Amino acid sequence: MAKLDIVQLTKRFGSVTAVSEASFTVQDSEFMCILGPSGCGKSTLLRMIAGFESATGGDMQIDGESITELPANKRPTAMVFQKYTLWPHMTVYDNIAFGLGLRHLPRATIEKKVHDSLDLVSLSGYEKRFPAQLSGGQQQRVALARAIVLEPKILLLDEPFSSLDAILRVRLREELKRIQRRLKITAIFVTHDQEEALSLADRIAVMNSGRIEQLDHPSTIYANPETLFVADFIGAMNLLKANAQGSSLRVGSKTLPLPDGSIVNGETTIALRPEDLVLVSDTYTGAGEIWKANVDQIMDLGHYRKVLVDVPDVGELKIFIAKSAHINEGDTISLVPARYLVYGQHGSPIEVNRLARPDSQAVQ
Amino acid sequence: MTTLPTSTSGSLWRQRRGLILAYLLVAPPLLLMVLLIFVPAIQSIARTLTTDTTGEAGLSFSRYIAFFQDPISVSNLVFTFQVVFVTLLVIFIVCFPLAIYLRFAQGRIAGAVQILVLFPLFVPGIILCYALIRFLGTRGTLETVLSIFGFMDYSTPYLKPSAIIIGLVWESIPFTVLVLTAGLRQISDSLIESARDVGANDLTIFRRIILPLITRPVLIAFSLNFLGIFGAYTVPYLLGPAAPQMMGVFMQQTFGQYRRPDEAETQAVITFLICSVVGLLYVRTVASQRIQQEDAE
Ligand SMILES: Nc1ncnc2c1ncn2[C@@H]1O[C@H](COP(=O)(O)OP(=O)(O)OP(=O)(O)O)[C@@H](O)[C@H]1O
Ligand SMILES: [Mg+2]
Repeated sequence: MAKLDIVQLTKRFGSVTAVSEASFTVQDSEFMCILGPSGCGKSTLLRMIAGFESATGGDMQIDGESITELPANKRPTAMVFQKYTLWPHMTVYDNIAFGLGLRHLPRATIEKKVHDSLDLVSLSGYEKRFPAQLSGGQQQRVALARAIVLEPKILLLDEPFSSLDAILRVRLREELKRIQRRLKITAIFVTHDQEEALSLADRIAVMNSGRIEQLDHPSTIYANPETLFVADFIGAMNLLKANAQGSSLRVGSKTLPLPDGSIVNGETTIALRPEDLVLVSDTYTGAGEIWKANVDQIMDLGHYRKVLVDVPDVGELKIFIAKSAHINEGDTISLVPARYLVYGQHGSPIEVNRLARPDSQAVQ
Repeated sequence: MTTLPTSTSGSLWRQRRGLILAYLLVAPPLLLMVLLIFVPAIQSIARTLTTDTTGEAGLSFSRYIAFFQDPISVSNLVFTFQVVFVTLLVIFIVCFPLAIYLRFAQGRIAGAVQILVLFPLFVPGIILCYALIRFLGTRGTLETVLSIFGFMDYSTPYLKPSAIIIGLVWESIPFTVLVLTAGLRQISDSLIESARDVGANDLTIFRRIILPLITRPVLIAFSLNFLGIFGAYTVPYLLGPAAPQMMGVFMQQTFGQYRRPDEAETQAVITFLICSVVGLLYVRTVASQRIQQEDAE
């Protein structure tokens, strides 16, 4: 419904910089997630957009018009909080109708809107209940209905499902996505749960100590994390200390190639996804370096197995292996690093592909 | 005892033992209350109804009729009500903004205000009264300061009803602010921010969100202050006018100076009955809170 521009937005609490020069644009009807560890400034960023926190510097614009100086009650945004969100002395109906009433809409219009919004969150018939008579999930759905009934230009959600149990969380997440798609509402969703972000977002902004480290589509963030922090934070990752010399990397006693012309030198870190360590047969002679590894621990995770292996001189690594592969704890196996990213001191990481994926023939 | 279908005899015994223990624990204070308060109260009430003004025995309302026919008694009762209501009004006008400030403000000034608000708690009533006389009385601090600024026609509230009200308000501030602030702290920030988010301004938030959510603390502060002020003695005795008097002073004078215990007893019963109506309001408020809390669990 609207486009949001954030320009150099900064928030300081005394000496603490909670948000540092955040700049990004949320497109019309886009679902953006802000993801980051606890205390990185996600809520502060969202609360500045809602108007509950004043900005120390920078600007916010909705459809090109600055909202930075508007008080919260005048902003065309609506927020869903983590918990204690419904007014306990009002029925579900009154909770949702409250904001509409403040806009002096005719009674019949209010009634229709309340019913439609309750219908949207599948809670028709709950109008007369009080919040204390609802489950946690139902309460959050009413909170969502209360926010969207006002047809806000931007919908803001601050970990709205984090106090619910895992199953309910997934269900409400799907429901939210469906509603957002249907209403084509522009939404910003704050979470520290990467699975939630990866499954909901059109784009994810990964935050770390007040800064946005990367803003991109979930698959891009997963495949090409721009910083070491993002590499470590999103998905499972093996990080190895390495030393770059010319066109090769030394990892313990092993070497891995660097592409020609790479300018990294000295201390680097290699990031290797578990699924990019490919299990090959002992007689494998194809592309890539073969690392011998000892199987330490096997964890069955349903449709695949997570295996902890020890590569002498390199260290402990996690890998994912298909259920069909016959390996046992104590075995020695052969692995080929198929793809990895190299992070130097500065600049973007270097991507190295050693095997054309998928390389299922190589796997036993 | 009714049988509980699911519990075994062992747990039944445990339950019963718990109950017995609970009764044993509440028994001594309950017994004391009955002996020291209920019995004398009922005796007094009975006496006021079973003897008339001449001391003759037999069921009679004559002592009450005499009270309500005596212009001084009636004017004292009316005066007490007036003082109570004006004082309560001023208390809420003063304490509401203070409590709201303390709930929402942060930082050092709020901490200092918090301590200042509690300060009257540590000052005994009699010291307060003499301090107020010094401050408000003729040629007191206030008059001196005002005269420095050229304000000459100061008339002291000392020995006037307003002095009683000032003293009682001062005494009630800490308790009232504490109760109201505690009530306000129960309202989480997100409830208030949600209201602002959907477009409510400060006044609407106060009327539609905050007030309905603190009716209980307000009722508690109202009823306990009412009881304290209605029966007040020290402040009206030391600061107030000779006539009319508040009920506390009136009773003491009737009993001690005029030596008319029968009349004092009648005055006491009337005061007691009025206060017990408000006491009932308090008990109901607290009980309904209990029930709600249990529901929420
Ligand atoms: N009102 C405040 N006063 C002072 N510091 C604050 C205030 N609010 C937040 N901070 C600080 O700002 C930083 C960011 O806080 P914020 O609540 O935005 O984190 P978050 O990413 O939402 O964390 P979480 O996932 O735990 O909710 C933290 O260091 C926090 O201590
Ligand atoms: Mg937060």
